[in-house]
Amino acid sequence: MFRQTFMLRILLLLVIASMGLFELARLAGALAYYPYPWSGSASLSHIVGAFLFGIGMVLAGGCVVGTLYKMGSGSLLSLLAFFGLLTGSVVYAEFHPFWKALFKDTLVFSGRETLPQLLNISPTIPVLIIIVLVIALYVGPFHKLPWERESVVEGYVQPWKAALFLALIGLLSYIFVGMPLGITTAYTKMGALIEQLFFSEHVSNLSYLQTQSLDYIPPFSEVSIKGGAGPQFDAVAVIQYPIIGGIVLGAALSAVLLGEFKLRLNAPRRQVVSVAAGGIVMGLACRMTPGCNVWHLMGGLPIFSLQAIFYLIGLVPGAWAGSWILKRFVVR
Amino acid sequence: MGESEKGLIEFDIRGQICPSTLLTTLREVNKHKAALKCGEVKLAIMTDNRDSTTTIPDSVRNMGYTVSVNKDQDCYRILIGKIEL
Repeated sequence: MFRQTFMLRILLLLVIASMGLFELARLAGALAYYPYPWSGSASLSHIVGAFLFGIGMVLAGGCVVGTLYKMGSGSLLSLLAFFGLLTGSVVYAEFHPFWKALFKDTLVFSGRETLPQLLNISPTIPVLIIIVLVIALYVGPFHKLPWERESVVEGYVQPWKAALFLALIGLLSYIFVGMPLGITTAYTKMGALIEQLFFSEHVSNLSYLQTQSLDYIPPFSEVSIKGGAGPQFDAVAVIQYPIIGGIVLGAALSAVLLGEFKLRLNAPRRQVVSVAAGGIVMGLACRMTPGCNVWHLMGGLPIFSLQAIFYLIGLVPGAWAGSWILKRFVVR
Repeated sequence: MGESEKGLIEFDIRGQICPSTLLTTLREVNKHKAALKCGEVKLAIMTDNRDSTTTIPDSVRNMGYTVSVNKDQDCYRILIGKIEL
């Protein structure tokens, strides 16, 4: 029971804490946008994309953020997953018109982006209901389950503390950037930058890489900023590149200080192939949904985004399918 | 994989990441199940993946085995022993 629910309970804590903090900030008038820019209507295509993301995440040995911190601490396998992510992200640009058409054809509740919008109620109502239900679970059936994990490794941070800290970072991002944490469009930008070195004309002809999907006025500013998935240095680069750089450098610094930074590749060939393939699938999936687990679960789910709910519906069976593939074909 | 001393089976998974590290360990535990159960052998897993220092002990302990984790010079050593009665 402990093994099966420990990290799920931590994830639930992260979502619930974000939910409470976002709602308090909204009521206090601290959120410039609600829902945030780059949010949107849900489509059945999100479920398919999230299913693929779940498979890719397990095969690659970590999500887009997990890949970054493992890479920063010296994992060459995660570096491979990172290049897989860049590859998958730019491959998506090749069939974006098809996926965009599928997205439009399978739109659900068009024009309504969150559950409270759909039900025409204040977001405070579902937030209060969920928080009361979760507290009842934690003081009821969950009350005997431990919150801390035994660990002998130096510098280990208990997951519940990390969850609360991450919820706070998500809140700061929402208040000061106008939207929750996200990094995956920058993966496409980096991939497009590399692709441009070899196929510059092709890159300039891809509609997806020329579209500036982000166009908004950030909080505490009066100037509109724009950005997209193309290789140019724009608002997306300004917002997302520092997060990617920060995670990699932070992980590297932490590993060096602990004396654990080592470059090593000692994996069986099957695992190397699995990680590369997982990275590519995850990169593709990030553009299909669009966004990753961090964007949807830490940003969308706390405001009951319908996209995020659809994402969760696809992600869970996807992760299960990824585990099955790993057991059946990789570790056997 | 190698036997460094009598009854101690060492398994080097340094350079590998989760969840493959966990699945590989569980595969080895199941392979040596009978000998592990009666205390005939112990399994030493060498890993440099920090996540594995919690995921492997959690899972193996859940199966009833005794587990200890120690930091070696350049990796963590997870020692898996017989089932606790």
